[in-house]
Amino acid sequence: MSSGEGTVLDVNNTEVVYNKVVQVLRGLSLSVPRGQIVALLGSNGAGKSTTLKAISGLLPLEDGAMPAGQIVFDGQPTAGEAPQRLVRRGLAHVMEGRRIFEDLTVEENLVAATYACAGRRAAPRDFDAVYSYFPRLHERRKGLAGYLSGGEQQMLAIGRALVADPRLILLDEPSLGLSPKLVEEIFSIIARVNAERSVSMLLVEQNASVALAVAHQGYIMESGKIVIDGTAERLAADPDVREFYLGVGGSGEARSFRHLKHYKRRKRWLS
Amino acid sequence: MTQHLALPEKTLPQMLREQAQSHGDRLAIRQKDFGIWKPLTWATYFERAAQFGLGLQAMGLGRAGHLGVISENRVEWVLAQMGAGLIGAVTVGVYPTSPTNEVAYVVEHADIEVVVCEDQEQADKVLEAIALLPRLRRIVIIETKGLSSYSPEERERIVTFAEVEAAGADVWQRGDGRARVDDVLASQQMDDVGLMIYTSGSTGNPKGAMISWRNIRGVVPGIVERLQLTPDASHLSYLPLCHVAEQMLTTFVPVYMGSQVNFGESIRTVQEDLREVAPSMFLGVPRIWEKLHASISIKVQESGPWRRRAFDWALAQGAALVDKPRSRWSVLDRARHAVAYGLVLRALQNFIGLRKAHVALTGAAPISTEVIRFFRALGVPLVEVYGMTETSGMVTGQRLGEARPGTVGVPTLGVEHRIGDQGELQVRGDMVFVGYYKNPQATAATVQDGWLHTGDVVSEQEGQLRIVDRLKDIMITAGGKNLTPSEIENTMKASPFIKECIVIADARKFVSALIQIDYDTVGKWAESRRLAFTHFRSLVELPQVRELVAAEVSKGNDRLAQVAQIKRFHLLTKELDHDDGEVTATMKVRRSSIYKTYAAEIEALYA
Repeated sequence: MSSGEGTVLDVNNTEVVYNKVVQVLRGLSLSVPRGQIVALLGSNGAGKSTTLKAISGLLPLEDGAMPAGQIVFDGQPTAGEAPQRLVRRGLAHVMEGRRIFEDLTVEENLVAATYACAGRRAAPRDFDAVYSYFPRLHERRKGLAGYLSGGEQQMLAIGRALVADPRLILLDEPSLGLSPKLVEEIFSIIARVNAERSVSMLLVEQNASVALAVAHQGYIMESGKIVIDGTAERLAADPDVREFYLGVGGSGEARSFRHLKHYKRRKRWLS
Repeated sequence: MTQHLALPEKTLPQMLREQAQSHGDRLAIRQKDFGIWKPLTWATYFERAAQFGLGLQAMGLGRAGHLGVISENRVEWVLAQMGAGLIGAVTVGVYPTSPTNEVAYVVEHADIEVVVCEDQEQADKVLEAIALLPRLRRIVIIETKGLSSYSPEERERIVTFAEVEAAGADVWQRGDGRARVDDVLASQQMDDVGLMIYTSGSTGNPKGAMISWRNIRGVVPGIVERLQLTPDASHLSYLPLCHVAEQMLTTFVPVYMGSQVNFGESIRTVQEDLREVAPSMFLGVPRIWEKLHASISIKVQESGPWRRRAFDWALAQGAALVDKPRSRWSVLDRARHAVAYGLVLRALQNFIGLRKAHVALTGAAPISTEVIRFFRALGVPLVEVYGMTETSGMVTGQRLGEARPGTVGVPTLGVEHRIGDQGELQVRGDMVFVGYYKNPQATAATVQDGWLHTGDVVSEQEGQLRIVDRLKDIMITAGGKNLTPSEIENTMKASPFIKECIVIADARKFVSALIQIDYDTVGKWAESRRLAFTHFRSLVELPQVRELVAAEVSKGNDRLAQVAQIKRFHLLTKELDHDDGEVTATMKVRRSSIYKTYAAEIEALYA
């Protein structure tokens, strides 16, 4: 886990406090190997989004502070770097809830994203790369982004992140509010982007089964700390993960609500 | 205290009726339920217990029948136990934390006919093993959540606690219920077995120790006298009631003394419950004290420099006065203590809920003297006591005010003792148990001519007993030296970073150990040094952590004789767990099972 050649992101013993009182992260450490998708799973309020905000430098906007810990992106500490500088260094953050410019057209949204390319020799003039992954966006490129469906908006949000050709994308709940079919589509595109452009990704998800299906590595966090980590296959086979995150009992069949137990297995998180 | 020594020659259930008759309006029990402390008087305690007992009787549980209880501490536990006593049945407690196979073993071995289960989780354990339990007739379930999910065949076996109580209440109201209970009590003999307590089984299968009413009557005076308990005492019951230590303070003593017992919300809220109750006595096992010690240390580390300095100073004042009786304090001593108390100690005692405790106990396992000194310095009157299931509770204890850390004091009232071959402590008295259930060989080996062979090696210093180790644990190295592993292990466990230490020395050239780090304190330590880790295993595998433990071990080694020093150690990458059979329900290490599980690691230490 020490920061080395193989990793694009290292988070070491990070603590985050909101409003000087609410401690959300308690000594969190994780790393993202180059070219891999890493899933960060956890229940509501575990601190997953906070982790992403700490990485991309957005904490001050929400009165958050990082009293302890160190985050190294691409070999350099991020401490003191403004979020926009990080974006230009190749760190894109696709926020939860998509956050597109609704009153601009699809293409204008993408143009706005070229801001992230400022200072580079060649900014892209067309968005063929983005449209090749998301043909739907090409069809609707003249339409107002606010009129896109939820899935298309999510595609736009991811496409916007791709404009600047980032080395690492932080994805916050891409499946939020989408139909199962769209979730599948988006995740297969995420996997393609990762494979073809070797972009590393840190993926925060509530939908643990799709996340573990595309991810190489996974971490599971609870109340501000990692409780278990490992390869995606190992996590998907772990009895605790299966019970608490994948909703299947030890024997493998999906649980019927009729047989729901009123007690939980004791979590042990053996690694 | 002589007035307490004249306890009536009555059984525990007879005493319960007596308490209900003589001061029925007094508070007996408080149960915290959804945040509200609900009181129960002695009269209702007796009545509800009797009704539950009659309900059991209606289900066919007869005299000398066996009732199992698998539950956390709560009022229903003691109602079931007393109810069984009032109809002449025997109660057997089972650890609610036990995995299915251990629950099944005890339920089967103890010939339990009716079992009270706390909730669906416990009932599921019993139902899973139902094929192996031909004697079991009914399951009484306390929490009814999830009851509807059982299949009709399963459901047929299950009744709810409330239903049993209601059935008993019917009998009670019809008029002959009271007479039935009176009949049973009239013919109840002191030598009837009232309780079976299964030993935790650190060396093999658990053994069921049969405890008679006479045993209970025999152990109480000693406890009362040594701890200076009065009818006004209050107690928070939270340690497992299937263990003799909690039994003695939750049922034995309160029923004879008429003192008060509190049941908290659950085992997870002990800290908060303790703060609310502020009981006059408190029983902890070493693990509880160690945890409390560690949590105070962590909190102090996290606080600012001024507060830290104030704490250190106050603790030093307290520590300096620990061994000095209050009557011999100088004016300066008093002044210093007053400041320390006002600034720090009082608030801390309030925080841990022990400000009103006039006695706090530790027992059931050895504890490091540092922890004892720490709490005494805080002003918690912590005394070490010693007892075992087979002695129905504590039989030796330090006297308040003259407690020497590291000893277990002197035998209590009514206990005769002698030191046998190999320094083994032997005791005799009314409290020596009847025998092991269905195991006469083990009984014969343990009780000879009325003397109970405790299996503990002791040494006597100026009349105070000091426990050396379990007789069977004493190891002989390849060089022929006798070693007491628990002495080595406790020396190591005094380090806040070491939670568990299992020594290997038998027939070996040198001493080595398996060590489990304390996740919380080592985790904090690593964070303060900016060492990244994600979970227990990755923390253990940090080279710096190994160095830390090595330094702690060598610090411990300095306090040990040359032959007893740990030369090599292996860090466990997983915490020892009851589910894996590595520790017992009371978190006692199962040596043989651990030696087997970690055989490869152990051989590597000697390679």
